Amino acid sequence: MAVISETAIRPVVRKPIDWWRWAGRAFLTFLLLFTVLPMAWMVLTSVKSQFAAMQYPPQWWPAEPTLNNYFKLLDPNSRVGQDFLRYFWNSFYVSLVTTILGVVVAVPAAYAFSRFRFPGRNFMFFAVLVRNMFPAVVFLMPLFLLMRWMGLVNTHGSLILTYLTFGLPLSIWLLKGFYDNIPIQLEQAARIDGATRFQAFLLIVMPLSTPGIIATSIFSFIGAWNEYVYAYTFLSRDSQMTLPVGIQRFFTEFATDWPGLMAATFMMSVPVVVLFLVLQKYFVRALTEGAVKH
Amino acid sequence: MAEVVLKDVVKNYGNVYAVNNVSFTVEHGEFVALVGPSGCGKTTTLNLIAGLIPMSGGDIAIGDRIVNDLDPKDRDIAMVFQNYALYPNKSVFKNLAFPLQMRKLPKEEIARKVNDAAKLLDITHLLDRKPRELSGGQQQRVALGRALVRDPAVFLMDEPLSNLDAKLRVQMRSEIKRFHHNLNATVVYVTHDQLEAVTMADKMAVMNGGLLQQYDSPANVFAHPVNTFVASFVGSPAMSLIPLDVATQGTETSLRSPEEGWELPLSPMNARKANASSNGKVVLGARHSTLKLHRQAVPGAVPGKVYTVEPTGDVTFAQVFISGAVVNISLDPSVVIAPDEKVWVEFDQERMHLFDGQTTMALQAA
Repeated sequence: MAVISETAIRPVVRKPIDWWRWAGRAFLTFLLLFTVLPMAWMVLTSVKSQFAAMQYPPQWWPAEPTLNNYFKLLDPNSRVGQDFLRYFWNSFYVSLVTTILGVVVAVPAAYAFSRFRFPGRNFMFFAVLVRNMFPAVVFLMPLFLLMRWMGLVNTHGSLILTYLTFGLPLSIWLLKGFYDNIPIQLEQAARIDGATRFQAFLLIVMPLSTPGIIATSIFSFIGAWNEYVYAYTFLSRDSQMTLPVGIQRFFTEFATDWPGLMAATFMMSVPVVVLFLVLQKYFVRALTEGAVKH
Repeated sequence: MAEVVLKDVVKNYGNVYAVNNVSFTVEHGEFVALVGPSGCGKTTTLNLIAGLIPMSGGDIAIGDRIVNDLDPKDRDIAMVFQNYALYPNKSVFKNLAFPLQMRKLPKEEIARKVNDAAKLLDITHLLDRKPRELSGGQQQRVALGRALVRDPAVFLMDEPLSNLDAKLRVQMRSEIKRFHHNLNATVVYVTHDQLEAVTMADKMAVMNGGLLQQYDSPANVFAHPVNTFVASFVGSPAMSLIPLDVATQGTETSLRSPEEGWELPLSPMNARKANASSNGKVVLGARHSTLKLHRQAVPGAVPGKVYTVEPTGDVTFAQVFISGAVVNISLDPSVVIAPDEKVWVEFDQERMHLFDGQTTMALQAA
């Protein structure tokens, strides 16, 4: 019997082109460019000299890349460096305190919403979510008046309080989804095995909800880190400025030092990106786990 | 080990009484099954014994202590849950060790006790695994192990077998029974499966609608159900129940079908019971094995029509319509009958049950 190569006898079946699939790819490519190009331009500009950055037609790829802008920003002896590092610290401090306080409040609140039946439970949970329906600007004036009345204007406390009110609803909502998915029998078993209610929470429930806690921490950290309008409104002293407001000063004080501005912006986005990359698997789990019953 | 006493225990949510005035005593070393349909209050009763939910009224004692206000951890109990409730982030060893750690036992003693329990349940090779890496049967063993590692006064089990497949369930059933026998443990066991209760328990507490219906040995519950609910709940297939009228002519008492008009004469004993009925109506109860099927009319047999025939191998079950009620009859597999065939059914006067037509309670001879 003659041996016939398999490929030879197999008829060539051409798959019809799936236009929807290609349209999807094209759309995703567009989205990718849309998000990546500005970031790429930011990074490229940050390693140019002031002169190269202002050239026309633009110099797409830096001919003489330099890290000078970064050194300048990170140099504690220069005026710019002093400002930048102070803003950076302010932002970090405000975001960190917001995050820690947020977790401290959101964890027990979400647990209570998930486990206990009390009068007004549904109303309160709904109210928590309704807060999210209003844009932040709506609260700007009322909160400013409130902060002035409490004597908190020009303090980081005003920002921390404000960021908490914005971050908490989402944190509570996310965490409640987590606690809902942890069978109550685990706590009951722990209580029978010799734990108090609080120990059962601490030793059994808390470790299981770690991904949720991490995700909500990222949320509130990034939210506080990026916030601009409230920081701009509540703070007027230079020494207290957070990064988003502080960076804006590069426009005015230094006659728009574009490479310096871009270097500062890049460094500002580093913590966010790093946080997200390191913890994104928890983040995704938190978002899906709360939503879908297994 | 200890006895468990429930006295007038009540749990209500507003007007809804999940557990209503339930009293019973579990003797030291006894295996008691709480059994009933879903929502009957059996799991709530167990949770009250465990202290996982607060009581609305009554007293619960474990050993010689009233435990009404004690936390679960102070009641000296262990519990096995339907979904096992193994701590998912802990290894099997740590799951078993947890109750001992909470009691602050020294490390060496914990290791020794965990290894003993693991050996007893044949799970030594699984100690390093996480619960999700185990099969259902293995998880079940670990849950049992976590309960017995501590040597508690009372074991509480909440439908521990209902998540297992049929074959494994039968196997674990005998293992739990054996485990009870070896440890001489006091066990309160919740199940909706009357067969589990009948096969495993020393006593069964049949519950319905938050009320304790009957508390007795499975044999007694089977032979002398106190009302139509218990009669129809215990036994498989269920006891057949036929609502009938009491007809008295002179000294003779018989039961008359309100729909078909036939009369079934009663023995003197049964006549006295029927005459005790509060409204002249009774419910006649009969188990499948006490009934005889005839193809012709015989004295004392009542007419019926075959509905379905279910051969199961050892025995064939026929369902027969009698006076509008479906009656189960077991037959020798060699008997061949067809649906819609007209038949006559003979009752065993010694083994029939008569219940009050109004209160549904078993009638006593006056």
